[in-house]
Amino acid sequence: MSFELIKDILIATVPLLVIFPSLFAFTTWMERKALARIQNRIGPNKTGIPCTRIGLFGLGQPAADGIKMIFKEDIVPRGADKLFHLLAPILALIPAMLILCFLPLEFPWGKFMSAPVQAFLLDSAVIFFFAISGLATLAIFMAGWASRNKYSLLGGMRAVAQMVSYEIPLVLSAVVVVMMVGSLNAKEIADAQTGFNWFVFTPWGLAAFVIFFIAALAETNRSPFDLPEAESEIIAGYFTEYSGFKFALFFLGEYIAMFAISGLAVTLFLGAGDGPFLTAAPWLSVMWFIGKIFGLIAVMIWLRGTLPRLRVDQLMAFAWKFLLPLSIFNILLAGLTHFALDARVAATSDAILYSIHASHTHSDAANHDHPKPVAGQKEAVMGALHYTDKDWMGAMKWFSKAALKGHAQSRSILGWGFGIWAMSLIVLYVMAKGLDNVSRSTAKPREYLYAE
Amino acid sequence: MSILGGGIFKGMAVTLRNFVGSYFYKERLTTNDYEWRPDGALPQSIGDYPKEEGEQLSDTTTVNHYSRNFPMLLHDTGEPMDTIRCVACQICERECPPQCIYIEKSTEKIENADGKPQFYPAKFDIDVSVCMSCQICVEVCPFDAIVMNSQFELSTPDRFGGLLVRRDDLLKSNDYYHKIHPQEAAARDQKMADDKAAKVAKKKAAAEKAKAAAEAKAASAAEAKASEDKTEDAE
Amino acid sequence: MTQEITFWVLAVIAVLGALVAVRRRNLIHGVFALMIFFAALSGLFLLLLAEFIAAVQILVYIGAVGILLLFAIMLTERVTGDDARDITSRGSFWGWAAALAVLVFLLLPAIQSADLAQTTQPHNPSVKALGQQMMDPYVITLEVLALLLTAALIGAVAASQGGEKTKEDIDDA
Repeated sequence: MSFELIKDILIATVPLLVIFPSLFAFTTWMERKALARIQNRIGPNKTGIPCTRIGLFGLGQPAADGIKMIFKEDIVPRGADKLFHLLAPILALIPAMLILCFLPLEFPWGKFMSAPVQAFLLDSAVIFFFAISGLATLAIFMAGWASRNKYSLLGGMRAVAQMVSYEIPLVLSAVVVVMMVGSLNAKEIADAQTGFNWFVFTPWGLAAFVIFFIAALAETNRSPFDLPEAESEIIAGYFTEYSGFKFALFFLGEYIAMFAISGLAVTLFLGAGDGPFLTAAPWLSVMWFIGKIFGLIAVMIWLRGTLPRLRVDQLMAFAWKFLLPLSIFNILLAGLTHFALDARVAATSDAILYSIHASHTHSDAANHDHPKPVAGQKEAVMGALHYTDKDWMGAMKWFSKAALKGHAQSRSILGWGFGIWAMSLIVLYVMAKGLDNVSRSTAKPREYLYAE
Repeated sequence: MSILGGGIFKGMAVTLRNFVGSYFYKERLTTNDYEWRPDGALPQSIGDYPKEEGEQLSDTTTVNHYSRNFPMLLHDTGEPMDTIRCVACQICERECPPQCIYIEKSTEKIENADGKPQFYPAKFDIDVSVCMSCQICVEVCPFDAIVMNSQFELSTPDRFGGLLVRRDDLLKSNDYYHKIHPQEAAARDQKMADDKAAKVAKKKAAAEKAKAAAEAKAASAAEAKASEDKTEDAE
Repeated sequence: MTQEITFWVLAVIAVLGALVAVRRRNLIHGVFALMIFFAALSGLFLLLLAEFIAAVQILVYIGAVGILLLFAIMLTERVTGDDARDITSRGSFWGWAAALAVLVFLLLPAIQSADLAQTTQPHNPSVKALGQQMMDPYVITLEVLALLLTAALIGAVAASQGGEKTKEDIDDA
């Protein structure tokens, strides 16, 4: 193994191992502060610089928590399976760290690499992401089983059932994007969205993004799907019997998984590192990427502060009777609308291109019979060129410019585009509404005998 | 037909309002961000909290009227031990679910606020590390002697002795009660007065009844005597 | 050199995992050992540049089959799963004999006839090519398999529903 390869691998992996755990520390602080403010409290505000009374808004809290976790006693229950009890938190962290490699994060120091060794350049990066993130389920099951505690086991069972169920809508909603890009390569998916061609702006992309985000919440056991660790029912679920540093590892693994799955949502739907000012400063791309991840994390925290926990039957009904049919329908609709739109618009833009071509050849042949250029034809041609380049936002800009000048073909393209766009949004909404009505859990809440 | 997911957005709007509002409106914050005190001095009672200028000692320091934390013993106006309401009947001790109350009854009686000789608790300890704030002792007390305090800053370096609250620390005046829970205290005073009036009326009624009963008894005894005589005659 | 070291490490892990999976009395330990075997196998696929197969190996065998096995054990055994059971039963001799026979008469000739010395250039390993193969020449096979699996799934659901309801359904009809 050459020195160059080792250097490349270190450049590719070390930033991930440094940046995301430090972001984890910051996120715990952010989450505690945000939850506190949502509940009209102040949150951590005293832990700042040690031995002084400088609070720094409690930014020292993650460090203090970490020190506390390291020095806490590590308790292993007497009946526990010692080996598995030790392995479970490690196994929970490893897949979470691994899947970070599949996010198309292009750090500026990547140019010091002699060969591209990043995992997101793999041809099947997205499949790998789902495959490896599924391993977290095993760790949770292991923890629940090895603790030999009924609450742990219940939590583990709930976690496995939930994660297996929600993985299906998660993958199916990602399939739409894979279908449109025609690649499982994370880099290609990211490149397909440059210039604000984010998939979330399309109707099927929006629906898939919402499904993906909900399923991601359930995958990472976040509120309102935090049944596996429902503290009012089963103490702490699968990590009831964990303390000290093992607990910290679980915690870290959970947050890293949150980052990773938000990162995948950003890659698939929110344009990855795409954003303004990229031509002036390409290094901003990483900042945009991490900023979008933080936006999604903030929404997760916000939801945690807002929503109550679901019941088990509601959880399962929601996954199987609402998200799954909707995501399958979404794939169908994405194919149909894309096909219809593409056929129509491609034909028209081809016609535009052909007409300009024809007029050129014609004008060469017979100068005297020069046809009058149609108003806005130049813009329409630009739009058509952008369209063949799959830059839909750019195409729309040029087509609308042409349409404003009274170009009939552009008008028809825009009409078709917006018509199909609005129609599919309406169809998706109606479908979701219908599924919601059908899939509502019929179980009535228990009547309280002693309620007074 | 409601909008799909409308409830979620409504809830998120509420929490967003809380989030933003808590930065701008101090009265939203339920807890006080009090100043650092001199070494080791934790605030011991509600009066110890710093007050902003012009602010009355009110429920801003104690969350609100309905906050309750751990029980306290009440005494009426006067010296605490002379006007203590508790008569050491030990009902609360028996009813307490986590059994955190320990009472020792006195051997001799002293006069209470009404001038009636009563027993009193020689010892009355509540282990607040065990107490679960269920308020059952308050519900069962026939003498309105135990009510809930709202003092919440109870940290102490001594986790055994420091969390065992003794009788003299538990005793609080009725005025203090009125201060922390005005509505509840007024209602309780009203109820006590009503009870007292009802008791007096009942006593009066009972006395009359007893009198009537005695008369009736005398009459029936005479009648019975007469009927006995009759049967004897028949034989 | 690097590849050979990686291969031998993965191979040793795979064989050890498989042995533990077979010999371990604790069923849950056995399942996890089996998953280690699967993971090592997926690593071997990666070494052969078959990245899609490696991903699917993890996705299907560890993610689905492993979880399925765990659930099956949880639902049938006592929850602790440390039931001691005798694996070396009476017929073990015939088992060994059958395994040896398979090795000698099927695997050895296959290994000997294969020309291992000749290193073959890997085919185009891209996922796109695989997908085109599945969608173009083998689409009928794929669809039939999908139909079969769906039928099996629905059949399993119907079988697990229980016989109580069918009588009422018949009465209603």
